[in-house]
Amino acid sequence: MSNKPFLGMLPSTWVFGILVVLTFVTFFLGEKGIGGLEVALFVLGIAMIKGHLVGAYFMGLGKLRGLWRWPVSVWLIIPGSLIATAFILSY
Amino acid sequence: MTQAVDALDPDRATLDPDQSNRYPPGDLAIWIFILAELAVFAVFFGAYAFTRMDNVALFNEFQLHLDREAALINTLALITSSYFVVRAVSAIKENHAEYCFRWLVAAMGMGGIFLIVKMGEYSHHFEQGINLSTNTFYMFYLSLTVFHFMHVIMGMVILAAVAIKAKKGGYTAQEHTGVETGASYWHMVDLVWLILFPLVYVMR
Repeated sequence: MSNKPFLGMLPSTWVFGILVVLTFVTFFLGEKGIGGLEVALFVLGIAMIKGHLVGAYFMGLGKLRGLWRWPVSVWLIIPGSLIATAFILSY
Repeated sequence: MTQAVDALDPDRATLDPDQSNRYPPGDLAIWIFILAELAVFAVFFGAYAFTRMDNVALFNEFQLHLDREAALINTLALITSSYFVVRAVSAIKENHAEYCFRWLVAAMGMGGIFLIVKMGEYSHHFEQGINLSTNTFYMFYLSLTVFHFMHVIMGMVILAAVAIKAKKGGYTAQEHTGVETGASYWHMVDLVWLILFPLVYVMR
């Protein structure tokens, strides 16, 4: 995972921008008050992507090799799976 | 543990790049602590989701009473503070202790915004007589968010300690384990909120 600037901006700055955009997407879906399993899972998917970006780029785990590269990704899968299962079963 | 390794081999990164790419930034002990904290939050999130299964109508109704705009501001505040902490770590790696200090102060400022907005939300709830016993949704909402709130306070105390040491010149490009340790904890606080926000405020 390179730390070289892309189009004049550091990867962490790009990630920050992506996190902000995804946060607004989540917020507007909430504001619309849209229910439904697909929307819920979509919002959960956005949260998983955001979590992965924080782990890989902000926490610096993305550049690691071996076991320590994965704890945040594995952690995201655990509550993500629990939440997804509960929501699927509730519909 | 990493400090012990560093003590034996201060130039670990330059001597053995393979090894430096195998351990996370900061002290390994904070990562054990972070994983324990994340495990607790995972249980909390799972409990919320499975309890909701038997109370879907109630959760959906009272979720609409929450202030999503406040949650948006808080999410942006934590994301921004996390980014500022990344910049603080980058600054100290380039031996710019003063910049490191300033980025950390900016990050704490964002953390302060989070605390103020969240206290405003709590104040509004308490004025309405809402507490842990009001219903199952509020029991989870208050428990989860207050537990996270305490972690934000803890993270700000850690960042303050790191900032003070950075200001005093306690970190260098060669030795900045403390900055990375504090940064890792703060990112964990941000990470947890990134799941908490959609789960409690948006998903229905």
